Amino acid sequence: MEARSEIPAATTGHSSGTGRAEDMPPPLLTKVAIIGAGRGGAALIELLHQLRTVEIAGITDRNPAAQGLQLARELSVPVFAGVSDLIGINGLNLVMDVTGDPAMEKILRRQIPAGADLLSGPSARLLCDLVRHESALQAELLRTDKLAGIGSFAAGIAHDMNNPLQLILGLAENLIDECDIDAVHLQAQDIVEAVKRTTAICRDLTSYSRRSSTHPDNAIPINSKLDEALKIARYAVGLQDIEVRKSYWPDVTVTGNPDEILHVFVNLITNAVQAMEHGGALTLSTASIDGSTIVRISDTGHGIPQEMVSRIFEPFFTTKPPGKGTGLGLYNIKNVIHHMHGTIGVESRLGQGSTFTITFPRETGSNDGSGSP
Amino acid sequence: MNEFKSGFFVGGESCNGRVLVVDDEPDIRKVVRMTLQKAGYEVLEAENGAKAIETINAGENRLLLDVMVCDIRMPKVNGIEAISYFRQNYPRVPLIVLTGFPDTDMATSLLRQGVVDYLVKPVEGEKLKSSVARAMEQRELARL
Repeated sequence: MEARSEIPAATTGHSSGTGRAEDMPPPLLTKVAIIGAGRGGAALIELLHQLRTVEIAGITDRNPAAQGLQLARELSVPVFAGVSDLIGINGLNLVMDVTGDPAMEKILRRQIPAGADLLSGPSARLLCDLVRHESALQAELLRTDKLAGIGSFAAGIAHDMNNPLQLILGLAENLIDECDIDAVHLQAQDIVEAVKRTTAICRDLTSYSRRSSTHPDNAIPINSKLDEALKIARYAVGLQDIEVRKSYWPDVTVTGNPDEILHVFVNLITNAVQAMEHGGALTLSTASIDGSTIVRISDTGHGIPQEMVSRIFEPFFTTKPPGKGTGLGLYNIKNVIHHMHGTIGVESRLGQGSTFTITFPRETGSNDGSGSP
Repeated sequence: MNEFKSGFFVGGESCNGRVLVVDDEPDIRKVVRMTLQKAGYEVLEAENGAKAIETINAGENRLLLDVMVCDIRMPKVNGIEAISYFRQNYPRVPLIVLTGFPDTDMATSLLRQGVVDYLVKPVEGEKLKSSVARAMEQRELARL
């Protein structure tokens, strides 16, 4: 029996879900206008655009260089030149004034349309504090899950570090009484290569475990990011009995935070391999269809029972034994993907395997250069 | 079944015994071979548990294999499965685990199953040789 679940991106009023989400009644939307696009406004827009029950009608700020305006453009939230135009929008339910300017509050109190509430002054400040706190918590949650995952890397790291160390020790011991100069040269070269292997492991892992960079708007070459994730995932899960198949569309990129997308891929690959206890095939594929970028990670493992498919993206939901999974992996993945305005879905057949599909909206390709369709 | 000590006569030359080294990393097999050959052992190699089983069942190895040095994390038949197979089918061939992963629970479990030693890489040549020598003694006792 096939089970499906698709988690759509949070709506900003113009996107719609598919899969299971289509069966639900449409959420009651709160139409919001945001006045002020400084730090508070930016944090607010970042959080609100993830909520399916909120439509951000627009944002405005006197300062055209305010950080929240740039973010709004990236998130396809309308940016208005003046307050009057913004609060003149029909059907507003809430005007949020996060400027902290008492004069602005007075103006808004006079001009606010009938039927809309105004949030300003200390209430708005408190809300901004809460939103920033929530945003910091989300970032910490992602890092916690990443660090918890690194704990499971112990076996892989030990294997990959200790094997070259065994080679180095064995060769060094041999060199003590090696008289053949050619053999000495060859063995010294082997030692150098073995040292390089161990340093590469440290480099991979320290770069993976660092906090996500704060500059999210990089063009990420998806194919090489998948390759990098595969390299890191093999510390957590043995790939000895896994056949890895790749089907890459050339030059696909998406815009987002490269550290976060790497975390997403590492997590999905690790889950896929863990689902194939007795070996199987892991397929990584990318495609570009009608401007959207599709990434699929498939396994031929045990599959996910139908009753669990709809729950796997919930926080703290895990099927792994205590101490093996935080239950935050797929929840964090969903958040990262939604943050990038993408969708993530899963199709699974018991005993046959699962396919996770991530769809990123319209992106133009640039230089990646790895693989071919 | 009569058993013979490989040290008596192997390939026309005497040796201290025949050791099968099972590890998926060719580099590891190379250095272990280097160390053990210097100590006078003949070394056979297998790249995974399946190959090890194939090797021990091939020809005279069944009779002449003295000791096995086995990794744990390997493709196809992994070390745990291979060790379980050897303990069942060749209980008199002493086993030494040489692994990259220091896992106390696994070490305890394997030592309880009769594994001679659980060595964690990187292991010094002297320690490996002394472990193999101890295993050889155990093999001798099993023949009596």
